Formats: sequence, structure tokens, C-alpha cells
Amino acid sequence: MQARAPEMELIREAQAGSRAAFDALVRQYEHQVLRLALHLTGSEHDAEDIYQEAFLKAFRYIGNFRFECSFYTWIYRIVTNLCLDQLRRRKTRREDRAVVLDRSGDEIDLLASVSDERSFSNPAKELDRKLLGQKIQAALDKLTPRERMVFELKHYQGLRLRTIGEMLNTTEETAKNTLFRATKKLRTQLAGLR
Amino acid sequence: MNCEIAHERIVAAAYGELPDEQTHELERHMAGCPDCELERDQLLALKVLASANPVIDPPANLVARSRLRLEEALDALPPKRWYERLSQRMMNSFASLQAAPVAACLLLVAGGGAGSLGGYHFAQSRAARGAIANQVVSAQLQTQSPPAEIANISSIVRQPNSQIVEVRYNQVVPQRVQGSLDDPSIRQLLMLASENSASPDVRDDSVGLLASECRARHSCRAAGIRDALMVALRYDKNAGVRAKAMEGLEPYVAEDMRVRDAVLEALLNDSDPGIRTAAISLLEPVEADTSVRQVLYTVANSDRNPHIRTVSRQVLSRVPEIQ
Repeated sequence: MQARAPEMELIREAQAGSRAAFDALVRQYEHQVLRLALHLTGSEHDAEDIYQEAFLKAFRYIGNFRFECSFYTWIYRIVTNLCLDQLRRRKTRREDRAVVLDRSGDEIDLLASVSDERSFSNPAKELDRKLLGQKIQAALDKLTPRERMVFELKHYQGLRLRTIGEMLNTTEETAKNTLFRATKKLRTQLAGLR
Repeated sequence: MNCEIAHERIVAAAYGELPDEQTHELERHMAGCPDCELERDQLLALKVLASANPVIDPPANLVARSRLRLEEALDALPPKRWYERLSQRMMNSFASLQAAPVAACLLLVAGGGAGSLGGYHFAQSRAARGAIANQVVSAQLQTQSPPAEIANISSIVRQPNSQIVEVRYNQVVPQRVQGSLDDPSIRQLLMLASENSASPDVRDDSVGLLASECRARHSCRAAGIRDALMVALRYDKNAGVRAKAMEGLEPYVAEDMRVRDAVLEALLNDSDPGIRTAAISLLEPVEADTSVRQVLYTVANSDRNPHIRTVSRQVLSRVPEIQ
């Protein structure tokens, strides 16, 4: 979020062929890219693939970047499209994933990263939270790829609907309607948990 | 307002996307509609539930692994050929122009000529490598007029078993043009100058002139001047240039969402406190926009400059005056 003027120089240098400049751009955005891909796919392996494809595409097409939007929006547009493709492939393969997997296929306990002193003294509560997390993930998996993406970008990534519309090559109004459908579906799926 | 519309607006309001006047209308509706109140409560509960699936920071080894794999892939890519680099440079320069027939055609002709010349020289060197005499080179240099600045050296070839060296170079011929600020070709040159990374004085002069055109509402949008000012506001490394760009965009903050976004970004991210302060005064009279309020809240709580935090709070306290 800092140093916009140097970023423009980096972009121009990368467009001129500077590998060092492109590497610097990658380092600025790689955590956000991985964070989004990991949360959406739940798999370190898939997140790594998306990272790879996204930045290779960015490297190939950086010459087409015209500063008409921020570089953040541009790179996110690439990433969200790759994530959408991944979500669609999963729907086709009917994968049922309710946990996050690391590279070796072991489950990552998401809730272990959420600090809660009470859970240390209450294993039953810890288990409840873990199961709840799995149910949430299962409900998210039942959304369409587009609904899932809009909900992810709005609820988890905190982006504005206008920005989400730009990233998904649609309008703010369409993104808003998609968010509405996604929340409606999620509430139906999770009704029993309230 | 009926309940169907209310349900949609409840979602928008829960995520901070509802304009203030619609928020007020929604609250009035919910005050008399228990079903919609329940709908809102259920949505808020969903938001809490969804937080049971938190976003985690990627593990360090995942980041390292991904970066390494990317570097290997980039290393394995073949380097671009000279004509690909030249084509890309031409595309970059050409794309920075807006609809400007004269300047665009000139660039097209110049680019086509450079490409043809490069191709001609390339074909010639392949057919007659080592056969060019130093007398011909000297004659070429002597007949060149007027003396032009050398842009770059494209190749150096030494004749085998000889002291003769062939140097190929490209030249830049300085030009001068004069015209009115209303002239599209002058405007195009000013917009190119606003992105001239070599000279801050040139950028300062060009952005100042473009900004004065925008403040006077002289075809600011049609000619792409507004876009050039937004680029300067976002990316120029000189604070004086960014300040002038923002002054030029002032008349459009209310009517153009892209301009408003650019000013909001400046308020959040610009390193110069003077620019962030000026951004606040530009946003103050803007019509009701939840984004503006959100950014002001963020700035009021987290800006590193105490004066800016104070000014943001003052503006927020006058929120009913923001129409």
C-alpha cells in the first residue's frame, strides 16, 4: 500500500524487460495472492499452482498494462480468473473438500491459527470450532464458483463491490446481486447451526 | 420500500456498501418490520459464523517454495528477440496516446520506418557480413546533417583480421513544436511529458498546464487529460507534481467515481502529508459515498500524522453537511 511512485517505476522497468523489477513486484503482491488462493482452494499445492500461473501470466502480459487501473487490481484480476477456473474444475470433478490441505496432503488446522485462550482449557469446544469450520467450508463449496469468488473477495478479503466488479469484468450491480445470492444460499446451508 | 428490496439492502448495509440515504430508509423500514429485522440478525449471524473459516497467512515455506518455482520458470523462459523488444516498446509508447490522429499517425509512421530500417540493416548484415568499407562509414557520418543526438548503439562488429570496426547506432533528432493549448497534438505531447521519468521539471510543467486546462473545464475528459492527471497523482515520485495533478482533478471529484477513487487512494497512501490534507478538503463536499466515510474513519484512526487524524475527525463530525 506504500510507495506508489516507485511502483510505477518498477512497472515501467519490468515492461522494459527488467527481471529485477518484476521480482520486486512479485514480492510486493505474493503474500496477498497466496492468501487468496489458499483460502479459496484450501490446498497448498493448488495455491502454489495458481501463484505460478498468475505471475507467469503477469510476466508475459505486463507490457499490456496501461495504468488505467492500479497494478493491484490488474494482478488480482489475473488471480481471480485462475481461481475461478480452479473452482469450476473442482465442481466438474465433484470434489468434496471441507478441510485445508498442505503440500503433503495433511490437514491444516485453520482454527489453530486463531488465538483463543479458552480453547486450550476446553478441548470439546476446540473440537466444536473445528467442526464448525468444516461445516462453513462445506457450505462455501456449495456456492457456484462466481458466488464463492464474490463472497470471498467481499467477506474475507474486504474489497469493495466496485473493485470486485472490475476484477471479475462485470458491473458493481452484478457483483452486489451475486453477493446477495451467495449469502442467501449460505444462510440456508447453515440454518441448523444457529 | 418492500421487503424484497429491504433484504437486498440489508446485505449491502452489512458490508458497508449502502449509501447513507438508503441506510436511513432501511432502518425506518426495519423499525416497522420484524421479519426484516430478523433477516438482518440472521445475516449478521452468518457473518460471525463465516469467521470460523479464517483467512490464514501463507506459511513461510509455501511462500519460499512458490517463489523458487517461479524463479526457475522465469529463468527457463527464452530471452525476447530484439524485434519483440522493439515491438513492445512501440506498443507501450503508442498505447499511452489517447485519440490523437496527428500524433498517432506520426508515431505509426516513425515506428514503421524504424522497423523497416532495422529489418533492412538486419538483412544487409546477413548477406554482406564483413564487406563494408570504413570509407563508406566515414562518408555517412560526414553527410549527416544536422548533427543529431545518438540514442543508442545497436551493434558493434569487428572485421576479422582487421582494425576496422562497424558500429551501428540509432539517432534522436531533436524537434520543436509550438501551438495553442487547445491543439490536440500539443495536448498529446504534454500528456507524454507528464510521464517523462527523466525530468521532474518537465513533468511539473506539463502536469501544471494540463491541470489548468481541467480546472477551466477545457475538454478535460475527451482528450484523456483526466486520465493522465490520475496517473500522475497515483505514481509520480515528485510531491509537487502530484499536488498539481490533484488540483486539476478537483472539479471532477463529485461527478467521476474514478477521480474520487484516485483521491481516496492518495488520502490513504500518499507519503506527503500536504497531499493527504488536500485530499481531505477535496472530498469534503462530495455527495454521500460510503467509501469516503470508510476511508475517513481509517485515516482518523490510523494516519501517522496527528494533524491529518484531527482534520479527518472534524470532517466526520460534520458528516450531515456532506450532501
